[in-house]
Amino acid sequence: MKMTPALLVIGGLMVFWASVTVAVFLPHATLNDQPSDIWKPMSEPDVAAGHKLYVRNGCSYCHSQYVRVLDWDVGSERIAEKGDYYGYEPAILGTERTGPDLSQEGGEHPDDWQLAHFVNPRITRPVSLMPAWEFLGPTEIRQLNAYVQFLGGKDADVRVARQQRWKPPAIAAWLAGPAKNVEWLHAQVPKVWQAMPNPYPATEPDLLRGQKIYQQECINCHGPVGDGQTVAANYMQPPPLNFTILRGHLVEGKYIGGIFYYQIMNGITGTAMPYFKRDLESEKIWDVSNYLAVRFLGYTDATIEPRGIPASYEPEWKNTFVAPTTQEAK
Amino acid sequence: MLAFTKKTNSAALAFLGGGAFWFAIGATYGLFSAIDLVAPDFFQNIAVFVFGRVRPTHVNTVIYGFITSMLIGCAMYMVPALLKTRLWSERLGWVSFVLWNASVLSGPIGFPMGYTQGREYAEYLWAFDVTLMLALLALIVNIVMTIAHRRENSLYVSVWYFVGTAIWISAVYPLGNVMWHPSTGAMPGLLDSIYLWFYGHNLVGLLLTPLAVGAAYFVVPRITKTPLFSHTLSLVGFWALVVLYTHIGGHHLLQAPIPNWLKTISVVDSLMMFIPVGAVLANIWLTARGKTSLLWKDPAGRLVLFGTLFYLVTCIQGPVQSLPSVQRLTHFNNWVIGHAHIAVLGFSGFVALGAMWHVLPDVCGKKIWSQRLVSLQFGLVMIGIVGFFVVLTVAGLIQGGSWYNGETVYRSLPLITPYMVMRALLGLFIIASAWVGLVNFIMTLRHGQPHISTPIEEAPS
Ligand code: HEC
Ligand code: HEC
Ligand code: HEM
Ligand code: HEM
Repeated sequence: MKMTPALLVIGGLMVFWASVTVAVFLPHATLNDQPSDIWKPMSEPDVAAGHKLYVRNGCSYCHSQYVRVLDWDVGSERIAEKGDYYGYEPAILGTERTGPDLSQEGGEHPDDWQLAHFVNPRITRPVSLMPAWEFLGPTEIRQLNAYVQFLGGKDADVRVARQQRWKPPAIAAWLAGPAKNVEWLHAQVPKVWQAMPNPYPATEPDLLRGQKIYQQECINCHGPVGDGQTVAANYMQPPPLNFTILRGHLVEGKYIGGIFYYQIMNGITGTAMPYFKRDLESEKIWDVSNYLAVRFLGYTDATIEPRGIPASYEPEWKNTFVAPTTQEAK
Repeated sequence: MLAFTKKTNSAALAFLGGGAFWFAIGATYGLFSAIDLVAPDFFQNIAVFVFGRVRPTHVNTVIYGFITSMLIGCAMYMVPALLKTRLWSERLGWVSFVLWNASVLSGPIGFPMGYTQGREYAEYLWAFDVTLMLALLALIVNIVMTIAHRRENSLYVSVWYFVGTAIWISAVYPLGNVMWHPSTGAMPGLLDSIYLWFYGHNLVGLLLTPLAVGAAYFVVPRITKTPLFSHTLSLVGFWALVVLYTHIGGHHLLQAPIPNWLKTISVVDSLMMFIPVGAVLANIWLTARGKTSLLWKDPAGRLVLFGTLFYLVTCIQGPVQSLPSVQRLTHFNNWVIGHAHIAVLGFSGFVALGAMWHVLPDVCGKKIWSQRLVSLQFGLVMIGIVGFFVVLTVAGLIQGGSWYNGETVYRSLPLITPYMVMRALLGLFIIASAWVGLVNFIMTLRHGQPHISTPIEEAPS
């Protein structure tokens, strides 16, 4: 076959357009996308403005917007469907996950967490790689927040409503003073979790593991000495809890492990305290609970009664901590 | 006025120089991105250095500014040389150059200020899509008219690839940038991702690949002083490329909710890509068989030779990572960034550099100022790219494995810190190679010994 200019140009174009027909025009004609069950229009001006900011600032180079069958992270309760993106222009799916998927971010956190996080992600997430967006100024940060709270459509609405449902009582409790606040917080924890000791011995290695987790996940909110006096406190209502006052609020004068576990696993919806059930599995939560207790309360209920048969790996460890008397703790 | 724009090969030289310049700038923006991923508060609150803004600047500048410019410059010399004629219009060539660089320049100026359409690889604003399209159309006119005035009847395979690139990309670009929606440059809904990845894939498949292959087809027979091994293989490689490459963009979206038939086609034909790749590499390497020492001794030839080797690496990796079972571990993480660098820099970038040094003496009439600096550039960029590939692939597997095991993205961040540090350091080698090249380029123009250009003797098949 001799390549002539005519063959080159005409042949090249014919093959090319045939391929384009298959790869682009055919999907275009047959995609037939309809709004999915959770879809919402981007009608609020702040949301639309936030979407533009998301595009302009290149959030999509670090965040994807579709959850896959094999995902465990933020949003993994819903696998993406084609109708989730109906009419959004552009709907940038993204190719990198330097940060988590955001397609279901709405309602994951309350607004105060998001605002602090946008000003500088290290305020709430000590080892984050996300840039600080403080330079955008308060208006644009508010719009970005409106957009991320919108992500997830009607599913996000449910979560946002839940955050809003619990925000006022949490603030009211906090305004009532530290003691009342803790009472309120603990009253929200199911009874069975309250009178539950930490089942893990608070050995030296256990506490070191807990410390590592504390430094990666908690330190920028609750502070190096656990008193909650941090930059984060300026952004949050209620501010991060001061753990040291918990000495005076042990359940039945001796239990705290179960409360710690429950609060860390589940988070405290309505407050900036996130849930950690995706970041930390069971043992890690118990480890960090022991760390909080020993380090900031000077007392842990590790392995006290009630307890079952000790686990096979457990070393001989005796809990020598003495529960503070109510008198002494106050 | 502007008499220099009439000088033979002046437009080609401008594109080559532009490429050498943008290489240095683009790589430097890569370093800014890399620093952001090591120390996010390094440029705290300096808007123009924020990751989301420097990354597209890096990517567009290296693709359109560095590699494409450089290869267009090569093509503007090679096409007339192969056809024993002159470029039809140097002036029109300069028009292309100015328009093209207006688009490229809109990256470093606009993106850091937030002026972008934000779709990966399609970020240029509509006005600069237009200038880029006009530049392409001017190039097409120029090439077609050059062919019409040719004094050599048969068209050498490099010419096929350059003509093909020009006509394909001038359709791929407006489609992928959805130029009929000027304000967003996007289609509504999920459909947009199909347009975007049709484009994103063909940007490398129908722009970088055919330009680089065309240049390699020119350089290798010339340095080894051997006619091309096989005309049939040339034909197979060329036609299979446009048949297959055009519709495998779906492999970027295998885990997204696009239609399954589209995914199936893209996976099957990604595997079929061994045909065009194998044909091209067999043809080039069999041409060089027994003469590779000639390629190795000439630093320009060395760059092209390693470019073809990295093409093989890329195109073994590519089909493998098109398999859904592999993508479970490799998608969304630094594995893909590793592929992107070995492909874009290792393959098309190496070939562009090699071809540029090879044709530069004929284009500007001066000998290369320092061949040792070309060798140094080769050494530096080799260390950088091989290091990148290893480091990023390892980082990607760590991320992919830990996510697959149920770790969150946040928890896996500390695991990749060492690799992000190494990437930033290795990047310094690539940047150094870019600046060494730029200095050598400028010194060649200013102080190079005179060079009598050698005409292309016979046009091989
Ligand atoms: C350099 C990459 C990078 C860029 C750019 C980036 N992010 Fe992030 N983002 C991250 C990382 C890493 C995390 C996880 C750690 C954290 O929460 O800070 C994250 C977390 C988040 C979260 C919290 C997710 C959660 O619930 O845990 C939100 C919301 C978010 N990013 C929004 C944005 C928005 C909006 C932009 C653009 C203005 C953006 N990000 C740009 C890397 C990035
Ligand atoms: C973004 C800031 C933030 C981060 C990060 C954070 N917390 Fe909190 N934490 C809070 C806030 C706010 C409260 C609730 C304050 C209130 O309602 O008074 C809280 C409450 C708690 C409580 C409830 C105590 C009780 O007695 O009910 C525990 C336990 C706790 N945090 C542990 C942790 C641990 C462990 C980590 C890290 C794994 C962590 N927190 C990370 C902000 C944070
Ligand atoms: C000049 C040659 C180079 C070329 C052709 C090149 C090409 C590219 C391309 C195509 C991408 C997009 C990857 C993707 O989305 O999958 C990219 C991203 C990137 N490049 Fe380069 N690059 C070059 C040099 C560098 C250098 C010298 C550095 C660092 C010092 C660097 C750092 C980066 C970073 C950090 C990203 C973003 C990765 C991410 O999103 O996680 N590059 N580059
Ligand atoms: C046989 C040929 C090839 C195949 C089958 C192939 C396959 C792929 C696949 C499947 C991806 C997506 C990976 C993912 O997101 O999980 C990808 C990404 C990429 N490829 Fe290739 N590839 C090939 C050749 C090339 C060549 C020759 C180049 C460049 C000259 C290239 C440049 C890129 C770039 C830049 C990306 C990153 C896109 C992004 O931003 O996500 N590839 N390739």
